[in-house]
Amino acid sequence: MENALGISGYTSTMFAIVFIVLGLGIAALFAALFLPARWKLKYRMEFGFVILLIGLVWYADRESTRVYKAYQAEIEMAEFIDTAEAAEPGQNFDRVIRVIAFQWGFAFLTDDDEISRNAAVTKPGEKVLFRLFANDVIHGFNIPAVGITAELEPGVERDLWIRAPQEPGKYLIQCLNYCGVGHAQMKAWLVVEGEEEA
Amino acid sequence: MASPHDTVRMGTTPHWEPEDIIGKMSLSTLLFSHDYRHIAVKGMLTSLVMLGLGGLMAMLFRTELALPDIQFFDARPYMSLMTLHGMLMVFGFIIPLVVSLMYYMMPKVLGMEGLLWARGAQWSWWLLIIAAVLLVISRPDFTWTFYPPMSLRVGGPLLWMGFVAVLLVAISEFLAGMVLLRNGLAAAKKFGWGKLPLMGWGAVSEGILLIGSTPALGLVAIFMYTDWMQWSAFYDTARGGNVMTFMFTFWFYGHPAVYLPLMPAIAVLYTLLPRFLGRPIWSYWSAVTAFSILTVLAFIVYPHHFQPAESISGILGRITQILTLLIFVPSTLHVFNWIATLWYDTIPSSAKRAVPFKFIVASVFFLMVGGVTAYVNAQIATDSDFVHNTYFVPAHFHAMFVGFMANMAMAGFYYLYPYMTGRMYGQGLANTHFWFWQIGIFVKVMMMYWLGFAYFPRWVFDYLPLQEWAMPQLVLTGAAYLIGLGFIVFVFNLMWSASRGQAATGDPWAISDDAVAAMPAPAE
Repeated sequence: MENALGISGYTSTMFAIVFIVLGLGIAALFAALFLPARWKLKYRMEFGFVILLIGLVWYADRESTRVYKAYQAEIEMAEFIDTAEAAEPGQNFDRVIRVIAFQWGFAFLTDDDEISRNAAVTKPGEKVLFRLFANDVIHGFNIPAVGITAELEPGVERDLWIRAPQEPGKYLIQCLNYCGVGHAQMKAWLVVEGEEEA
Repeated sequence: MASPHDTVRMGTTPHWEPEDIIGKMSLSTLLFSHDYRHIAVKGMLTSLVMLGLGGLMAMLFRTELALPDIQFFDARPYMSLMTLHGMLMVFGFIIPLVVSLMYYMMPKVLGMEGLLWARGAQWSWWLLIIAAVLLVISRPDFTWTFYPPMSLRVGGPLLWMGFVAVLLVAISEFLAGMVLLRNGLAAAKKFGWGKLPLMGWGAVSEGILLIGSTPALGLVAIFMYTDWMQWSAFYDTARGGNVMTFMFTFWFYGHPAVYLPLMPAIAVLYTLLPRFLGRPIWSYWSAVTAFSILTVLAFIVYPHHFQPAESISGILGRITQILTLLIFVPSTLHVFNWIATLWYDTIPSSAKRAVPFKFIVASVFFLMVGGVTAYVNAQIATDSDFVHNTYFVPAHFHAMFVGFMANMAMAGFYYLYPYMTGRMYGQGLANTHFWFWQIGIFVKVMMMYWLGFAYFPRWVFDYLPLQEWAMPQLVLTGAAYLIGLGFIVFVFNLMWSASRGQAATGDPWAISDDAVAAMPAPAE
C-alpha cells in the first residue's frame, strides 16, 4: 500500500531509533539492578548523552519537516494553480473531491457535482485532493490504508491529498475526533474501482 | 561527586515514627483538622476512592470494548463512563494523590515545622470533593477535553454542573499550587537554594505549573458555562465564536496539566530512592536542571495537542515540534540520574524486599516505555499519519499516568503506610498487587500501541470486526481486569493490615544487607 506521506521508510527509521533508545534504557536499568559489578558513572557521560539526544532531536525535526514539506508542496501547488488565471483547479491532481464533515457522516462532492454520503470513488493509483470542511463541530478525517489524518476545525478549509491504493477495493474512512454520540458511526469508504488501470 | 552536605540534603534518615494516625482520627479530625498529616491522609484516602470509581468505570466500558458490536452500553452511557473515568482519574485520583503525598512528606523532608498554609490545602480538598459530586451527578458525555461546539450541544439539563465542576477543579488546583509554592519557597529561603532538598524543587516547579496553568482552565470553564447558557458565544462557531480560542486557552492548561502529577511523582522518587539505598542521588544539580527545564517547556509545547489542524502549520508547527522533541532532554536527565544512583553502589537486600522500592523500579521502566514513543508522537509527519487521536495517544499517556505516576503514587503510599497505621502491609499481598499491576499495565500499554498503529480511533464504543482490532481489544480488556484485580488485592491488604498487620517499630525501612549481616527483614 502506498503511503500518502510516503513515509514508510522514514517511519521505520524513527521506530528503529525508538527501539534502540528504549533497549539501551532498559538494559541500563536491569544492569544497575542485577549486575554484580557496580559502576559510578561520570558526569561527562550524562553531558555526552544529552548531546546525543539533541542530535536525535535535530534529526527528527529535519526528517519530519522534509517529509511533511514535500507532502504540503503538492497542496500549495494546487492552491497556486487555483488562483492562477483560467487554469483548472487542482491540475496537479487526477481528482478533486470536496468533503463536508458533519454530525455524523461525510458528504463527498465530485467535480461534476455528484454527491455521495458514504463513498469517495477513485481509480487505482490516482492522486486525489480532498478539500475538507467541517460545518458544525470539530471532526477528524483519517484514511488508515493510506496513512493520513487531519483535524477539522469548523469554518476552516483543510486540504489533504492521497495516492489511492493500487489494489481495487473498499477502504475505511473514519472520524478521529470525538464529535458527539454518533462519533463511532462516523465512517465512510474510499472505493477504488477496478475496471481500468491508472 | 557528592558534596559533604548531600547526606543531609538528600534525606537518607527517617522522618517519622510509625504511628496509627488513621486509627486515631475521628470524623471531625478527618473532615476539619488542619494538621498536615490529617489533610494528607484524607487526600490520599479520597484519591483511592476515586481510583476505585474511575477503575470500575474503566472495567465497565472495557467489557463493552472486548468484542466488536454493541453488547452492554449504547453511545451515551459509554461516553459518560469514559468521560467520568478520565476526569476522576486525572482530577480526582492521580493529581490529588501525589499532591497529598507531598503534603505529608514536605514538612519533614524540607525541615520545616509543619505545612505552611494548611488551610489552603483544606479548601483545595473540599472544593475537589464538591466538584467530584457535581461531575458524577451531571454525568457529562463530552470527554475530559470537552471540545466546543460539540460539548455545547450534548448532555441533559444538568450538564452545566459539569462546567461548574471544572471551575471548582481549577480553583482547587490553584490553591494546592499556592500551598506547594509557598512551602517550597519558605524552605529555599531558610536553607538556601543550593541546599533545598529535591522535593523542594519539585514543590516549587509544581507550584509554578499549577498557579500558571489553572487560571486558563478557570476561564475556559466560565466561558463554557456562559456559552452553554446561551449568554455568550465565545466558542460556538454557529453563533460567531471561535474554536481556536478554546484550543489555545484549554491546552495552555491541558499540557501543564499532564505534568501536574508528573512533578510530584518525580519529587517523591527523588525522596524515596536515597531512603531505600542509603546513599544520596547521583547528581543533585542534574535533577535541579531537569526540574527547571521541564517547568519551562511545560508551558510552551501545548499546540502539539491539536497539531493536525490547519491553524498549527508553518513556523508555529515547526517550533512546537522542536520544543516537544526537546522534552526528551529533561526527562532523560531524570532517568539517567535514577539509573546512575542505582548503579553506583550495591542495592541493599532490604530495598529489594521493600514493595515501595519495587514500584519505584517499575515506574522508571514505564517512564521509559511511555517516554521514548514521544519521539514519534512529536513529529508532525508521523502525527499526521497514525498518532493523532488513534490509540497511540492513550497508549503514551497510560504508560505515563498509570505506569509511571500511579506506580510512583503507590510507592509513596506503601512507603507511608507504616507511618500512617503503625503497622506493616502484608508482604505477600503487596507483591501480588505489584505483579498484577505490572503485567496488566505492560500488556495494556502494548495493546494500545498496537491498536494505535492499526489506526484504532479513540472514543468509540463500537468498532468494525477487523482482525487487527478485535484481538488486541480482547487482550486489553483482560489486562484491565488484571489491574482491577490487583486493586482489590491492594484495598484488602490496606484494610486487613491496618488492624492485623505486624506492628512496625523504629525505622520500618532500616537499611540492611543479608550479605553483610543477617538482620530481621522489616516486612516479612
